[in-house]
Amino acid sequence: MSPSAAAPVLEVTGLCKRFGTLTAVDDVDFTLERGASLGIVGESGSGKTTTARILVGLERATAGEVRLDGELVGTSSRRQRVAQARRIQMIFQDPYQSFDPRLTVEEAIAEPLRLHFRLSAEARRRRVAELCDQVGLSERNARALPRQLSGGQRQRAAIARALGIEPAVLVLDEAVAALDVSIQAQVLTLLDQIRRDTDISYVFVSHDLGVVRAVTDTAVVMRLGRVVERGPTEDLLRSPQHPYTRLLLDSVPEPGWDPAAVARSNRALAAAADAPGDLA
Amino acid sequence: MRTVHSDAPVVRSTDPAPAPVLSVEGLTLSVRGAAGPVPLLADVSLTVAQGETVGLVGESGSGKSLTVRSAMGMLPSTATTSGRVVVRGTDVLRAGGQALRDLRRSAVSMVFQDPRAAVNPVRRIGDYLTEGLRAAGTPRGQARAEAVALLEKVGLRDPEKAMRQHPYEFSGGMLQRVVIAGALSVRPSLLLADEPTTALDVTTQAEVVALLKDLQAERGMGLVFVTHDLGLAAAVCDRVYVMYAGRIVEQAPSAELFRAPAHPYTAALLEAHPSLHGPRRQLRAIGGRPLALAEAPSGCSFRDRCPQAVDACTEGVPALRRHGDSVAACIRPGRENWT
Repeated sequence: MSPSAAAPVLEVTGLCKRFGTLTAVDDVDFTLERGASLGIVGESGSGKTTTARILVGLERATAGEVRLDGELVGTSSRRQRVAQARRIQMIFQDPYQSFDPRLTVEEAIAEPLRLHFRLSAEARRRRVAELCDQVGLSERNARALPRQLSGGQRQRAAIARALGIEPAVLVLDEAVAALDVSIQAQVLTLLDQIRRDTDISYVFVSHDLGVVRAVTDTAVVMRLGRVVERGPTEDLLRSPQHPYTRLLLDSVPEPGWDPAAVARSNRALAAAADAPGDLA
Repeated sequence: MRTVHSDAPVVRSTDPAPAPVLSVEGLTLSVRGAAGPVPLLADVSLTVAQGETVGLVGESGSGKSLTVRSAMGMLPSTATTSGRVVVRGTDVLRAGGQALRDLRRSAVSMVFQDPRAAVNPVRRIGDYLTEGLRAAGTPRGQARAEAVALLEKVGLRDPEKAMRQHPYEFSGGMLQRVVIAGALSVRPSLLLADEPTTALDVTTQAEVVALLKDLQAERGMGLVFVTHDLGLAAAVCDRVYVMYAGRIVEQAPSAELFRAPAHPYTAALLEAHPSLHGPRRQLRAIGGRPLALAEAPSGCSFRDRCPQAVDACTEGVPALRRHGDSVAACIRPGRENWT
């Protein structure tokens, strides 16, 4: 299953997405190495979620291409889509909406196993138990319905379900944004653990720079559909080159924070965006 | 009734401060549940002085929203309360409908998390802003003029045009400004903001916070800022109360809270928060999940999740103890006493 280990697992080139007259994603490139974690940072309207949805085939790009293990994503045959779904999976902000409310958590985790593998009922049961164990869900949690779980537990269930088919890439769209801080740290720690134990790669979409720092090696910063800065996450946060990256960093509240100064640079940047070419 | 531990008395402020704009004294609240009363708040006390910004920080179920709503008299319909919630001399818990309406019309107003849920989507912004003024007896022309002035004050570029627009024509940040203008129209001495920037982009958050701080400084209002974000609370507030499972577990000046958290829960929250500064380190997650008061264990509510817990933590709810400039509901407050 794994082609050459040196080749990037995901390659995105010249990606564009237009909705009518609106260009949501504008000429986006990036690559993701096997076992690496890439952050896509941006605010609403940056195109980060649209980019993520194109990666997993939920949206079709207007132009450009996405290659998964060297193979083009977004072609139309059903067989190929199933094969691709096997290699790239997505986790959403609100896992509640991605679960069938009538299925117990263990049934939901078993579902993709049924679709993608030929396993005996017993082997499937064992695998589900193993997955629940891996993400820290108790047997009681596993027999519960999604609505009976807390937000953090549901997100663990979503991760278990995605991991079941052993994807090469997991796309996480604001996956911890709705969780309480103490629970968010648990899920981030879990994701880090999983990446160390397997050769899975992450595309981690988030507006939260602290979260991105905690779980990614490299990152791209998106604004109005374009990538404005890219690099190793630590470098990006320590010495941001683009004024927008600096603005995002300055926007993180902490003791001694000056929101009025942030507001001023935000307006200055917005004014500069009206006259493109002035930006660094 | 909780008493302050005798050998570490909590000193009341020695300044001859004016009466606080909000004072909550021993607020305990429960609602009716299928199997008897469900406790939600226990012995919550806090004060907000004129011109002061006070943070209320906590995770889900901590009771922070409920506490701040009590100051508006917005309580669940089956709520049973004890204690006092005093806003500008009126005890909100005992006030009748008319007194509450007067209070909301003249002394206290609130800004919520989702501005889209706070305004009527089919009415114009002008209607939203003048409604309260008109109800208070302001003549139409004057109400309109005041609304336009307020919109200008909160930074809308074309207030005259905004008066004729509908909520859907505004971004979240701009609509939150409109809601703030509405809250200011009653000239409150106390402004309650419940996660006012949580639904906004981070750069927009800075704009809205800057606006709130400006308005507060200009009008000398007391501001209560409810948030789950410790960093935001520390940046915005003079003092912060940390809530857990329906109780206040720590109260401290913002800078102190960050520098030297006195309660293990505050310390754990800070360590669980992914930081942008210093060397990159492993996040330290807090085990378990945040509890509501009804599910909390006896003794200290946090003891099941607390790395510092000892046997004595099961013996009764810890009294508030002073630690430096902070006050914490812990039998061993302060990092130097932890293992």
